[in-house]
Amino acid sequence: MRVSFEWLKDFVSISATPEEVSHSLTMAGLEVEGIDTSVGGDSVFEVNVTPNRPDCLSILGIAREVAAAYRLPLEMPGDDIQGDLPASDIRVEILNPELCHRYTGRLIKGVTISGSPEWLKNRLEKCGIRSLNNNIVDITNYVLLEMGHPLHAFDADKLSGSVIKVSKAGKKRSITTLDGIERELSGDSLLIMDAKKTLALAGVMGGEDSSVTSGTRNIFLESAFFAPVSVRRTSKELGLRTESSYRFERGTDIEFLENALNRAALLIRETGGGIIHEIVDVYPEKFKPATIEVNYARVNALLGVKLEKGEMLKSLERIGIVVEDRGEVFHAFPPAFRRDITGHIDIVEEIARTFGYGNIPARLPKTILSGGVLNHRERGINRIRETVRKTGFNEVINYSFMSPSDLDMISIPVGDIRRRHLSLRNPLKQEDSLMRTTLIPALINNFAYNFSMGARDIRLFEISKIFIAETDRLPTEGLRMGGIFYRENIPSLWKESAQAFFIVKGALQSLFEEMKLGGYTFVPSEEVFLHRGKSADIELKGTKAGFIGELVPDIAESLNLKVRKPEIIVFELNIDTILAFLPERLTYRHVPKYPFIERDIAIIIDDSLTAAWVMDVINSFRSEFIETVEIFDCYKGGNIPAGRKSLAFRIIYRSGERTLTDNEVESVHRELLEYVLEKTGGELRYRT
Amino acid sequence: MDDLFSLKKAFLEEIGSVDDLAGLQLVRTKYSGKKGLIRARLRDLSSIPPDKRPLYGSTLNDIKNFIEETIRNRELIFKTREKEQRLETEKLDITLPGNFTPFGRRHPVNQILSEIKDIFVSMGFSIEDGPEVENDYYNFEALNIPKDHPARDMQDTFYISDDIVLRTHTSPVQVRVMEKRDPPLKIISPGKVYRCDSDVSHTAMFHQVEGLMVDTGISFSDLKGVLELFIHSLFGADTPVRFRPSYFPFTEPSAEIDIGCIFCSGSGCGVCKTTGWIEILGAGLVNPKVFEMVGYNTSEYSGFAFGMGVERITMLRYSIDDIRLLYENDARFLNQF
Ligand SMILES: [Zn+2]
Repeated sequence: MRVSFEWLKDFVSISATPEEVSHSLTMAGLEVEGIDTSVGGDSVFEVNVTPNRPDCLSILGIAREVAAAYRLPLEMPGDDIQGDLPASDIRVEILNPELCHRYTGRLIKGVTISGSPEWLKNRLEKCGIRSLNNNIVDITNYVLLEMGHPLHAFDADKLSGSVIKVSKAGKKRSITTLDGIERELSGDSLLIMDAKKTLALAGVMGGEDSSVTSGTRNIFLESAFFAPVSVRRTSKELGLRTESSYRFERGTDIEFLENALNRAALLIRETGGGIIHEIVDVYPEKFKPATIEVNYARVNALLGVKLEKGEMLKSLERIGIVVEDRGEVFHAFPPAFRRDITGHIDIVEEIARTFGYGNIPARLPKTILSGGVLNHRERGINRIRETVRKTGFNEVINYSFMSPSDLDMISIPVGDIRRRHLSLRNPLKQEDSLMRTTLIPALINNFAYNFSMGARDIRLFEISKIFIAETDRLPTEGLRMGGIFYRENIPSLWKESAQAFFIVKGALQSLFEEMKLGGYTFVPSEEVFLHRGKSADIELKGTKAGFIGELVPDIAESLNLKVRKPEIIVFELNIDTILAFLPERLTYRHVPKYPFIERDIAIIIDDSLTAAWVMDVINSFRSEFIETVEIFDCYKGGNIPAGRKSLAFRIIYRSGERTLTDNEVESVHRELLEYVLEKTGGELRYRT
Repeated sequence: MDDLFSLKKAFLEEIGSVDDLAGLQLVRTKYSGKKGLIRARLRDLSSIPPDKRPLYGSTLNDIKNFIEETIRNRELIFKTREKEQRLETEKLDITLPGNFTPFGRRHPVNQILSEIKDIFVSMGFSIEDGPEVENDYYNFEALNIPKDHPARDMQDTFYISDDIVLRTHTSPVQVRVMEKRDPPLKIISPGKVYRCDSDVSHTAMFHQVEGLMVDTGISFSDLKGVLELFIHSLFGADTPVRFRPSYFPFTEPSAEIDIGCIFCSGSGCGVCKTTGWIEILGAGLVNPKVFEMVGYNTSEYSGFAFGMGVERITMLRYSIDDIRLLYENDARFLNQF
């Protein structure tokens, strides 16, 4: 809200500079976000008024705070209307008193509609409201800014039946509002009506038909209290927010609205003449201030201060709260303009605020020691993140959204769980209208973006949640790690010949080894967006924990990279599954001290047999002396017949109890060799 | 005897022309090997007349020792020379780059998030997680933000349905923890939150860390102590801190916490809008209404809660002027952290 410093001085004779006042306001909870000094000699504060302080949505409200902070009296403009006034010939009926707690009005006859005086126009414009060359409208706006109370002026001659009725619409109605728009109203909207028609949307906006125009002679000026919830609903329903609705929905001052009415009536008479009539005031249930009991000791305990009784009471009185000392406790009676104060904690806050947060000492809590260690899950995720980045992958963070076309881009089949996505009702844009069910599409976009920026060695990963819709409950949220790899085949100083797939598989294996995850296997994948021959599902003890593979040519081509057969490898791991398989505790294994003996074998076998299968065969040969088996060569072509390949293994023999002899090892090794050749149907290429 | 002297002379000639270890080995075999000339003379000792035998024998022994020592000395010289040659010739261009795959970097937001978590964990807070897609109840109502409350305007909410939203803060985690556990509590809830807003300082998704401490006798003074310690740990012990009143529905009294502008040291600049201060945290004593919702006894327990935006702190730390850079995921940007 814009607050003119010069206008503020009408209410409080302050000698401090605008900068000093702005600082005091900020420290009292009315943050001044900026000071505009571009308006002719004045300083205009841009005040951020929090939703609990509607009383500060006016010059008067801010002046109250300034007066309290500087311990100065508040000076109010006169609003006494002198002399015998003619009786009003307009009646008011409130049909829904639960939505309209008070309605006052004055008839003013014989006014002249004209432009407003310069000083008034100036003040309106400084505070961000355009003067409308209509003194009546300008004055209602002026009083709104000054007193914080929204007023409305009707052309009294356009009312039928000399009656104002405040009532719910009851049925669907329509009205053309002041801004010239015809609006459909629901039955619940609170309306101002006359004997025949709808005049205004209570607290939101007036109707065009009953508005004050240049030809208006007699006006009826309204100052009322509408229930915040009712105004807020109507305003939201119609998507229509006005200075008036903004204040009503936060709460206005039911007592002071009469002063605002009088202030406006006097200003109208001053600028446009006319005869002010007697007030019409329908006020079914009088405002009674709340009684709040507050314990002195509790205030000090909650704030961590040692304030005297008198200090507390005085500080409250300065901001208009009536107090009564009752020994251990006191009673506080907040004024009508502080409807936000309803419980003892609100009083604690007011005491803290006026005492100054800066004056409350800082101390460290006396509390029991607690184990502030990162929990199991958090530690696990940290280690995963650290390990993967050390294999060369940069971490990215993408929005949790995806585009409706993303799942089609990677051809996720109908019926796949990843099709069970959530949709946002109010997305910022269509591409961000669904919640992600997989991290892959975003990573493909990250890759394409970096490629377009010239990167040719791209390794990215992300750890984020995915969301699977459920019926009748919150979605399932799963933690995933996704990654993407691409490296252009360019000559480099140190030749590295590994294929892209194996570089990424290696990164995942170093992760699994680091996490001490035993029993992982790579089996053929069924993901349709992955190259059939260069992809794998990753299983942990038989449970699918993710996939890795090269994107199918269709997707790679759709990225228009202008690269022949780009090998783009993606992976996604289910982090929840991985965390579930982490070993609970590690136990030390004896380290053998006796020497080892190394033997190699190379066999020629059918190309369709996988290395893992042959490895399983070797591992199924039981010998207590075999320590490790490792593949060190896989070779096709040359003198190896077509359809076959050579696999070479290095076997380390060692006993935990003694030094093995060459003869012992030789006999085991020969048995192993025969076993493997028989099981694989292979032939020996060489052995050591 | 003459043959012994001519043997020594021949040896000296031969060894004088030897220039490497291989040559030296030949000489050694020829003279002091098992079938060498010295052994041959020793074997022939019996053919020497007895009266001349002692002198002949001792002379032969001297020559044998002399030959062996000379060879050893030469060997040492050649070996040293050979090592020198290796060191001289096996020379790399050590200015060529090493063979390595650079480590990737953690996303800057996650780096700052880790720092924040570490500080609170070191103070005894534990880390709690909760759903990002939340019930309206946990995101709003249990936090004293009923439907139709103007405070809902403070946060532009993404809706999945009437009752399900993308959480606009991580406070719902605190409610869920309080529903399950009794005080004392010291927790932080880090994570992603969502608001439908997008410009240079707002993204539709960002990260928050919120914290909660509940016990008997917790005061505003404790809140100040803990948060000052946190800020001094994160930004340095000299960082000025100020607490000023604000409003959040779930805390009362509420505060916003500013630090002295790190760009202009408080003298006023564009970043701090000339105020010399930068807002960094929101906090307050937990509103008793929130405690009532979870069934805590408000006359026995009090507590404080706080929250901060991780992107904002990241931007301050690295002088990043547009929040959207954090979500472009350009490797040239990410590699800088
Ligand atoms: Zn600054």
